[in-house]
Amino acid sequence: MSIAEAEAAQISLERPSGLWRDALDRFRRNPGALVGVFLIVVFIIAAVFAPAIAPFDPGKQVGPLATNPQGPSEGYLLGLDEQGRDLFSRIVYGARLSLLVGLVSVLVGLAFGLILGALAGYLGGWVDFAIMRVMDLMLSIPGLLLAIGLVTILGRGLFQIMLAVGVIQIPIFARLLRGSILGQREADYVLAARSVGVPGRKILLVHILPNSIAPLIVQGTLAMATAIIEVAALSFVGLGPNDPRFPEWGNILAENANRLQESAHLVFFPGLAIVLSALGINLIGDGLREAIDPKLKS
Amino acid sequence: MALLSVSDLEVKFFTRRATVHAVRGVSFDLEAGETMGIVGESGCGKSVSSLAMLGILPRAGRVTDGEVRFGDRNLLELRDAQLRDVRGKDIAMIFQDPMTSLNPVLKIGRQITEVLTKHMGMDKANAEREAIEVLGRVGIPNARDRVDDYPHQFSGGMRQRVMIAMAIACHPKILIADEPTTALDVTIQAQILDLLRRLVEEEGMALILITHDLGVVAGVCQRTNVMYAGRFVETAPTHELFARPRHPYTLGLLKSVPRLDAARKEKLDPIGGAPPELTMEMQGCSFAPRCTYATQESRERTPELQRIDTKDHLVACWNPVPDQDLPAESSDEWAAR
Repeated sequence: MSIAEAEAAQISLERPSGLWRDALDRFRRNPGALVGVFLIVVFIIAAVFAPAIAPFDPGKQVGPLATNPQGPSEGYLLGLDEQGRDLFSRIVYGARLSLLVGLVSVLVGLAFGLILGALAGYLGGWVDFAIMRVMDLMLSIPGLLLAIGLVTILGRGLFQIMLAVGVIQIPIFARLLRGSILGQREADYVLAARSVGVPGRKILLVHILPNSIAPLIVQGTLAMATAIIEVAALSFVGLGPNDPRFPEWGNILAENANRLQESAHLVFFPGLAIVLSALGINLIGDGLREAIDPKLKS
Repeated sequence: MALLSVSDLEVKFFTRRATVHAVRGVSFDLEAGETMGIVGESGCGKSVSSLAMLGILPRAGRVTDGEVRFGDRNLLELRDAQLRDVRGKDIAMIFQDPMTSLNPVLKIGRQITEVLTKHMGMDKANAEREAIEVLGRVGIPNARDRVDDYPHQFSGGMRQRVMIAMAIACHPKILIADEPTTALDVTIQAQILDLLRRLVEEEGMALILITHDLGVVAGVCQRTNVMYAGRFVETAPTHELFARPRHPYTLGLLKSVPRLDAARKEKLDPIGGAPPELTMEMQGCSFAPRCTYATQESRERTPELQRIDTKDHLVACWNPVPDQDLPAESSDEWAAR
C-alpha cells in the first residue's frame, strides 16, 4: 500500500458520520442488546412465517379431546390442549397478534404522546397546564384498570384493545417528551436559530424535536413489552381478542389457567413466550438507552 | 442618518418572585460600517439589550419602552414574521459558547443552508454551493468536505467560525457579536478577532461587539460604550476612552486589570463592593455606592449622558474623573496585551 493510500484509509477510518452511526456502533458492542435482538427476531420470524412453521392449523382439533391433555410428546412438540389443538402451532400463530398489538398500541401512544408533549413543552403557558393536568388525571388511574374501562366502553375486539392499551401509554410519552423539550427549548442553538430568523414551527420540528426524541425511542421499546403483557392481561380477564381461530398468548393462558395443576405445560409455554418476548424487547430498549443517551457517552 | 438608532430601550424580566429591570434606557446610533463595543461586567444588560433589539428575549423578558429604528422601521413594532426577515438577513448575531450554539444533530452545512434558503430564496444546490463558499471565507479548511460533518467533529475555534459563517451567510448590514471569544483559548481568540476585523472590512458590515474584555474592544472597536446596571455610563471613541476615562466606573475597570509589566509589589486596584440588585428601582447614580467621587448630588439625582472633552465623548456623571487621576496608558498598549 502506498503512503497516499494508507492516508486515505486512515481518513476514512477517522470519519465517523454522525450521532446515529456512533449510537449503532455502541449498540452492536452491547451483548445484552444482541440477545434481545436475537429473541425478537425469532418471534418475528415465527409471526411472519407462522403457516410454514406451525405443523397444524391452530384452530383445528388434531388430537384426542381430553380432560388431562397430553404434554409434549412425539408429533406434538409442546403437547395438546383439552380440545385437542396443537399448543406449539397456537403459540406460533399467537406471536402474530401479540406482536402486532404490542407494536400498534405503542404507535398509538407514541403518536398522541408526541403531539401532546411537543405542544405542551414548546408552547408552555396555559396549553402546557391544560395538557399536563389531563395527563396527570390519566396517570392517576391504574393503567390496566383504565384499559379495562376503555374496552368495556368501546367493546371487545382487536382494534379496541390496541387503542385502549395505546391510550394508557399516552401520558408517559407526553410527559417524557415535554420534559425533554423543556430542557432543549432554552438551549443556545435554539437561540442561535432564532437569531437568524428561523420560524418557530421549524425550530420545533427541525431543531428541538430531533434533540429531544432519543428518550422516547427507548421508552417506546420498553412500552412495547408492557403493552404485550397488558394485552395478555386483558385477554386473561376475558377482554382480549376472542376469535378462537386467531390465538393470542394471553388468551391461551386464560383458557388454561384452571388446569395449572394437571397440565402445567398449557400455562407454562404461553407464559414463557410472553416473558421471552418482553425480555427481548426490554434488552433492546436498555441497549438503545445506553447507545443513545448522551450522558452515558464517554 | 444612522443605520441603526436605538433610543431609551428598556427591558424588564417578570418572574414570580421579582421584576428585574435589566436595561434602563439605552440609546445609541450605529453608522454603516462602524465597529462599536459594549463593555461591562456580567449581568449589566449587555446581552439583553441586543436580544431585545432582535426580539429574541427569553420568555420572561419584555421590552417596556424605547425604539429601535432600522432604516424606516421600528423593529420593536414589527410583527414576528417581519422581524424574522430582518434577523439573519439584515442583522445577525453570534454567541458566546460555540460548543452549544450549533445544533448537535444537524450537519453544519444544513445549518447554513437553512439560513440561505430562508432569506435568499436559494434552492438546495445553490444554497449548498454558497454554504461551502461562506465556510471557506471564514477560514474552514476543506470546506467542501466538511459541510457534511456534525458539530462534534469540530474544535471550539472552528465551531465559532461555523457560527460566524451562519451569521454572515446573507451578508447582513450589522453583526452583533456577543462575547465571541470568551469561551475560546487565547490564541484562538486572536484568530477569531482577526477574522471579525477582516470580515467587517470586506463586507462593509457594522459590528456591535459585546464583551467584558477591555483588550478585545481596544483591538477591534472604533467606539466603545461602557455599560453599568442597565445603562450606558460613558461612550467615546476607543482611544479617547482609554486615554481619558471620565466615568469613575470606566477608570475602575481599567485599573482593575492586571498588567504584565507592573512592578511586583504593586497591588491590583479592584472596584469595591458589588453592582446593585436590578430588582430595585434606583435613585441617583447607580454607581454612587461604590464610587470614591460620589457626592450628595450623585445619590439623589440620576445623571444623563452629557458631552465632555470632545463632541463624541459622553459621560453620565456629576463628578467626572479629574485630569490628574487619569491613567498613562493608551488604547494601543491595551490592544497589544
